[in-house]
Amino acid sequence: MSAATPLKRAGRFAIDYYAALPVGVVAALIWAQADAESYFRFSHAASFAVNEVGMALFLAVMTKEVVEALSTGGALHSWRRRSMAIVAAVGGMIGAALTYFAYLEMGDELSVLGPGWPVTTAVDLAFTYFVVKGIFGRHSAVSFVLLLAIVTDAIEFLIVALRYPVADVHVTGVILMAAAVLVAIALRKSRVRHAWPYIAIAGGLSWAALFWGGLHPAFALVPVMPFVPHAPHDYGFLAEAPPEAHDPLTEFERKWRYAVHIVVFLFGLVNAGVLLQGFGTGSWAVLTATLGGRPLGIVLAVAAGCAAGLHLPARIRWRDVVVIAFAASIGFSFALLVATQAFGIGPVLVEVKIGALLSLSGAVVALILAAVLKVGRFAPKNAQVHT
Amino acid sequence: MRRSAAILLALVVSAGQLLGQPGQGQRLPNAANSVKLAVIGDNGTGDRPQYEVGAQMARSRAAFPFDTVIMLGDNMYGSQEPADFVKKFEQPYKALLDAGVQFFATLGNHDNQLNRYYKPYNMGGERYYSFAKRNVRFFVLDTDSLDPKQLAWLEDALQGSTDEWKICYFHHPLYSDGGTHGSAVELRVVLEPLFLKYGVQVVFAGHEHFYERLTPQKGIYYFISGAAGQLRRGDVRRSEFKAAAFDQDQSFMLVEISGLDLYFQAISRMGQVVDSGAIRRGRS
Repeated sequence: MSAATPLKRAGRFAIDYYAALPVGVVAALIWAQADAESYFRFSHAASFAVNEVGMALFLAVMTKEVVEALSTGGALHSWRRRSMAIVAAVGGMIGAALTYFAYLEMGDELSVLGPGWPVTTAVDLAFTYFVVKGIFGRHSAVSFVLLLAIVTDAIEFLIVALRYPVADVHVTGVILMAAAVLVAIALRKSRVRHAWPYIAIAGGLSWAALFWGGLHPAFALVPVMPFVPHAPHDYGFLAEAPPEAHDPLTEFERKWRYAVHIVVFLFGLVNAGVLLQGFGTGSWAVLTATLGGRPLGIVLAVAAGCAAGLHLPARIRWRDVVVIAFAASIGFSFALLVATQAFGIGPVLVEVKIGALLSLSGAVVALILAAVLKVGRFAPKNAQVHT
Repeated sequence: MRRSAAILLALVVSAGQLLGQPGQGQRLPNAANSVKLAVIGDNGTGDRPQYEVGAQMARSRAAFPFDTVIMLGDNMYGSQEPADFVKKFEQPYKALLDAGVQFFATLGNHDNQLNRYYKPYNMGGERYYSFAKRNVRFFVLDTDSLDPKQLAWLEDALQGSTDEWKICYFHHPLYSDGGTHGSAVELRVVLEPLFLKYGVQVVFAGHEHFYERLTPQKGIYYFISGAAGQLRRGDVRRSEFKAAAFDQDQSFMLVEISGLDLYFQAISRMGQVVDSGAIRRGRS
């Protein structure tokens, strides 16, 4: 066997599981502990290019997944399928935010750390998806958690964009954004079948609109992606489209896939480097909110939804909901992004970032609970249910 | 172990005073037209040591009539209701307030952000601001969240200042030998180039509950004075950056700026001078 095969397999695994992100995070953590000053010099120099420009690509891919999930066969296609997940998403966000405030209320740092509550409500879409898929395999729990995470982050998009303006809001931004949307509509009406005019012209205008308007420009492609023509069917979350698929949205993802992974690696490298000595109240507050408040919020919201007459997707039992709730507590990359918007540079940001990184432990808790409660791949062979 | 370390430190300080070594025996000139101030940080506990430091400051003022106190953050811990402003600020410093001494605060991580509107803190409702005393301009920063807007303000303010002395103060130290927190390296990477570019000579910070004077870093003198109420005994680690440190009792600083020279003393709760010295500013 040639050495290229394992390498190729490792590369495939890295792309399939967004491994570039944790690799970037680990590299950043090691670099920061070894030579903090050179690390922070690098991270500040690269911050704008990665966080304000490059991340627009990553968020575009995430938006593409949402757009496709709304199409036929997608997880968000019908209201009936959406309703319980929306309830669970909102419950999880409320649970996390309330727990965060309750934790801070016990001390005297609420005033400083309070503005960071949206850090606790963010969900790392990709990580949560892969953890649940790893536990449940092909199971309705996967699309349920996907739905929950997408709804959560859609709300989060709005919160971050509106709550953390990067500068004073100017009317120029509104005019430019209106122009961006009009261009996207015109391109769609003209049946333009390439993604690049949408990205370059409408996306460029949108980026300028957000930048000059005082909002975070990483969200530039979010209002544009829904106008890019897409396949009539969803191919699955972060799943490779079949070779015969040539719709502009799929073509966009194919062309930019590797660039997005580089961006994700750089995002981890630029944002995750913290001095571990910086652990503090903010770290505990974020961790308690994400690992305690959010799962509790999700479970209570699902219970309330059931009481109100909503139904859980087929074959999802209560023990599955508990495991899903913990898997959905992973904030990680998205929480890091929100943290950098919520706080300026300083030890408070470091504390919160450490909490966001530690929210990855939700994956471990979900796995342990799955084993203890015997759900998904841990269920006795004759009791496993698939859809 | 800690007791023997305290005795050793006291002996070193006393010996230094007797021998008149630099760093321990410097007197404040108490000149007629100089800028005189006191420095406190991490003070607002409302406990007895804070009151004792307040009393010691008032005693010092009898001989050294400072009219300004700069507060390095964590001006109040725990509850911050109206009664707490009395217990944790107005009472401990009553003698100073009654004498018309002005306090200029920065906020720390334990301070309610709304405290910037508290009139006796003289913050004018701002998270960051500057003020001048004769030939000295003070730049007061909010390091709880150093956002791009604040950085742009700082650069403008430093650039526009023609004052002979430029002094910055904020809560989190850029250099620290504290075992609990340590240096805020990310802040340092962003702030220090501005300090160097625009000629900031001295920087004060709190957060660490002890007193420390660092050896000059790139020509800038850094002080930590975060023990005017809180105290973290034995928290200072050995380091090549440490010029002097005191972590065995609460402390505050007295500073006098006269012409080209800045004189300083670090004074313990019991009134002992634990460090002192003078800094000469280069002619600009």
